[in-house]
Amino acid sequence: MTWLQQVIHRGQAMNDWLSPVRSQALEALRNTTWPTRRTESWKYTSLAALEQLKLTATEPATQPSIDAIAGLNSLDLVFINGELQTDVNSLSLPAGLHINNLQSASAVQRVIATSMFAQIKPKRHLFGLVNDALANDVLFIDIDNGSHIVQPIRIVSLSTDGHESHHRVLVRIGNEAKASIIEQTQGEHTSLSTGFTEFDLGQQAYLEHYRLAMHTHQAIYFGGCHFCLHHNAELNSTFIGYGSQLSRTDIDIIHNGEHAKAKLNAVYLLGESEHINLHSTIEHAKPHGTTEENVRGIVGDKASAVFNGRIHIHRGAQKTQAALNNRNLLLSRRGQINTKPELEIYADDVQCAHGATVAEITDEALYYLRSRGISRSQALVMLNFGFIQELINQMPNQQLAKWLEPQLRARFKEMEVR
Amino acid sequence: MLTIKNLHACVEQKNILNGLNLNIKPGEVHAIMGPNGAGKSTLGYVLSGREGYEVLDGQVDFQGHNLLEMTIEERARKGLFLAFQYPIEIPGVSNMEFMKESVNAMRQHRGEERLTAAEFLKKAKEICKQVQLPLDFLKRGVNEGFSGGEKKRNEIMQMILLEPSLCILDESDSGLDVDALQIVANGVNSQRDGKRSFIVITHYQRLLDYIEPDFVHILANGKVVKTGDASLAKQVEKEGYAFLGLDNSEEVTA
Amino acid sequence: MTTQIDQALSRTYDAGFISDIESETFAVGLNEDVIRRISAMKNEPEWMIEWRLRAYRNWLTMEEPEWAHVQYPKIDFQAISYYSAPKSMKDKPKSLDEVDPELLRVYEKLGIPLYEQEMLAGVAVDVVFDSVSVVTTFREKLKEAGVIFCPISEAIQTYPELVKKYLGSVVPRSDNYFAALNSAVFTDGSFVYIPKGVRCPMELSTYFRINEQNTGQFERTLIIADEGSFVSYLEGCTAPQRDENQLHAAVVELVAMDDAQIKYSTVQNWYPGDENGKGGIYNFVTKRGICHTNAKVSWTQVETGSAITWKYPSCVLKGDNSIGEFYSVALTRGRQQADTGTKMIHLGKNTKSTIISKGISAGHSNNTYRGLVHMGSKADGARNFTQCDSLLIGDLCGAHTFPYIESRNPTAKVEHEATTSKVGDDQLFLCQQRGLDAEKAVSMIVNGFCKEVFKELPMEFAVEAGKLLEISLEGSVG
Ligand SMILES: Nc1ncnc2c1ncn2[C@@H]1O[C@H](COP(=O)(O)OP(=O)(O)O)[C@@H](O)[C@H]1O
Ligand SMILES: [Mg+2]
Repeated sequence: MTWLQQVIHRGQAMNDWLSPVRSQALEALRNTTWPTRRTESWKYTSLAALEQLKLTATEPATQPSIDAIAGLNSLDLVFINGELQTDVNSLSLPAGLHINNLQSASAVQRVIATSMFAQIKPKRHLFGLVNDALANDVLFIDIDNGSHIVQPIRIVSLSTDGHESHHRVLVRIGNEAKASIIEQTQGEHTSLSTGFTEFDLGQQAYLEHYRLAMHTHQAIYFGGCHFCLHHNAELNSTFIGYGSQLSRTDIDIIHNGEHAKAKLNAVYLLGESEHINLHSTIEHAKPHGTTEENVRGIVGDKASAVFNGRIHIHRGAQKTQAALNNRNLLLSRRGQINTKPELEIYADDVQCAHGATVAEITDEALYYLRSRGISRSQALVMLNFGFIQELINQMPNQQLAKWLEPQLRARFKEMEVR
Repeated sequence: MLTIKNLHACVEQKNILNGLNLNIKPGEVHAIMGPNGAGKSTLGYVLSGREGYEVLDGQVDFQGHNLLEMTIEERARKGLFLAFQYPIEIPGVSNMEFMKESVNAMRQHRGEERLTAAEFLKKAKEICKQVQLPLDFLKRGVNEGFSGGEKKRNEIMQMILLEPSLCILDESDSGLDVDALQIVANGVNSQRDGKRSFIVITHYQRLLDYIEPDFVHILANGKVVKTGDASLAKQVEKEGYAFLGLDNSEEVTA
Repeated sequence: MTTQIDQALSRTYDAGFISDIESETFAVGLNEDVIRRISAMKNEPEWMIEWRLRAYRNWLTMEEPEWAHVQYPKIDFQAISYYSAPKSMKDKPKSLDEVDPELLRVYEKLGIPLYEQEMLAGVAVDVVFDSVSVVTTFREKLKEAGVIFCPISEAIQTYPELVKKYLGSVVPRSDNYFAALNSAVFTDGSFVYIPKGVRCPMELSTYFRINEQNTGQFERTLIIADEGSFVSYLEGCTAPQRDENQLHAAVVELVAMDDAQIKYSTVQNWYPGDENGKGGIYNFVTKRGICHTNAKVSWTQVETGSAITWKYPSCVLKGDNSIGEFYSVALTRGRQQADTGTKMIHLGKNTKSTIISKGISAGHSNNTYRGLVHMGSKADGARNFTQCDSLLIGDLCGAHTFPYIESRNPTAKVEHEATTSKVGDDQLFLCQQRGLDAEKAVSMIVNGFCKEVFKELPMEFAVEAGKLLEISLEGSVG
């Protein structure tokens, strides 16, 4: 049996109130041809590691614990190997915020959840379909109209050695509501995980969002963040990704109402023989939308990064302003960067631009630092960090940035600099 | 302090320095003047070890060491400081981090303890005040979006912070208004202690009104063509370089 | 104002007349026999037939590419005639005086008066009519300089060693679907050889004309610039206005040896179809140049015609310090679809490439830039700069940019930028306020938009290109 056949087999056995929607995914999976390097969206990513994957679950000596982030005071929701560990019934939640999972959802919430499930996430994502079919647990976050949830909601998903896990999150942010959501995924050693989240931002809603995909080398990860923005809604999202043996994330932002605003900053940092494949797709389906996207990556050692950033302006989406900027640093002769910014435009009264560069740290900057006595290797680390620091500095939550900084610095030290 | 003998250097196969000699003793202030393109900035770059500037011939002794054999950072750590004519912008790297790392690199070299964040901040704040840059400059990217005058003051700030033994100031006065000029000049004068030496590259007498030079050299076509005292600068200010009869490769002997 | 621009992007295609020239045309259909017959018509040696047949067998195993951003009904390769030649060509003319006056009139009508070109412009011209080269001018003068400029069918006979060595060396027989087809059935085209150290004394040019119904045109061009030589080559194309689609699948191979330079300019004005998308040429072209040490290949193209354009003039920068350039203006209107761009493959050290692409979309058309910049692991210090600009006229068209960037070398540097804009109402207003009519204003603005590319064209061509754009935009504003 191929990997995909096994997925279908297991998916058929899932039996819960999501079964009707899951079966659509199974149907789509049955009609899927397994991607090869000839498949455009997998051109630079091999799935061989997945095809050959053999997982032998080992029980961790101690139950893994998730540390709180200092000073953040976040509401933490924890998945371990796809199972939600947090007892959602015992949470004390601010007014207007509702959190449920597969078991706890009321009849009404089940209706809302089934109406959202796999609706924002485009059907083209193969591993999104896999997640539809196999999600062990589903977290459903619902924010009432007009509610401003100040406390950041942090969703941590951890996969331990030898485990396979599929977690799913649905987030509905009501009209004029506000929220801040941090998604942190971690995979240890040899593990396979998929994690997909769908966000529905109501009229004039505001979402501050972070996806931190921090896996270690052997992990296999397929993730997705899919946002639907209604009239006047605003999204500010930051993605930070480490590479791993095989890692892919798809980000979709759909401007489904006029005057929506999206800002997406993404950073990827790779060392050893890690790989990352990041696809972003911005759909401007309605007029007067704005998108600002900045993507920066640093690739060291034998690592390889793939970025594909698509901006699609639909017919009639006049007065759209969309800009994508992708900058990459390649540190090593054995590394690879493949980037493709795409514009597809069907409206004339728009302002669209993209730019992409692949380069190395300029000699000039290096010289300046060294002329002040800083060693070459230290200067390179500083300059590399500075390159992404510009985006880290833009994170609205600086408490989170503070927590992130030493980890990113440690990461640079790992990323063998020439 | 510094002895340059018969220095020849080129950039991209173009000869720029053609047998330059210079001797600087501790505590001295040397002004270097000369027409555009004479090679003044090149001299600073060659001394600091910038890549792409190739030394073809000659020797440079810096405090008893062969300067030309050292890496860029070794030269800096031994006390050679260059204030850039065009300071370089490095977005993302904060000024604070940059200066903290360089101060500590110097301290480590001298076998001293690293400054703690608090100690550094205290020191940095003082100097900020001295060169009249607002404190939030420390947080911004290195020279990022600084005005011309702010960049030059930032260079002086680094000079004060790093306590070098030889300071090369490359047109640190160009493009400054009168107030900023005074700030720069005062910054320099505050560092004159009888041991520290200075090379002041400038086009204008007005800076030398504040920083009195012991020697004035005219650099043309890659070598020193005339050396004099402070009055030479005044003559240049009045008459330009014409009195030297400089055209193309003509050499003038003093 | 925009509706003004939208209105009537229809215009007449000046080169759309059909000439009544008696022709000898193969029946439609493609099989090994047809290929043998083409080869026989040309008196080709055995190795050439073999070469063609191998290409054909390869082609049979290949699939028509679908990745381009274009849509068209499946081509029926059995409904095309693969050979057509004017009857009068049976005894090939040696000079212009011997050319069928009817043919000369065709070219005069196209604005390419061959006599004049020969006398005044000092441009050597090779003229390919349907499947055969009808005349090549200035051959004697070129011969004095050692330059070979002749139909490729003739080169196969006269210079078999050169052809054998280089044919398919840049674009291999099975490079892609259309190149394989071309390799099997190509009928004519130009052959150029510039000897070592020679600067070709005049511009060389080829005019391609499809006349006969239901025929495809499959020409093949091979240019070899030996060490230290220079040549500038121009190519122009037209076809009559017909209701059915016609296929044009050409291959151009350029070989620039050490220190050589080739400048290749194209003004492509194949029949684009009518405003409803009926008829027009399917233009599927493979153009590629290889650059050895210090060599330079520069592609300049002005693409205004064809119903479908699928074309990526590319450079393989194999030698150290070699340079590749691509300057392109692509204008689409009506129902035209263009998917065009370039590939710059950097293999050698310190190789440089520049890509400037200007896409103008109007009407219901779709205009796509597709490009690849590849920095190989040995391409130390390589540089690329790419600028892609799109201009949209009206809100029913599309403009797309798909650049692929692949880097394997930390010292290589790639910079890509793309922007989109429209002919602004305020720009139009300003021009009109200064007394220009809207049509003139648009053409001025569009010309300005394309300036960077036009300046790369040889003089005569630049004027022609400017005029072509003007005609193309005629009636585009109320
Ligand atoms: N990187 C370089 N490449 C080529 N020429 C250079 C380069 N840097 C400086 N030069 C040339 O060297 C000469 C001296 O420059 P510079 O030292 O900057 O002069 P100054 O500071 O005296 O005005 C000038 O002619 C300048 O154009
Ligand atoms: Mg200078």
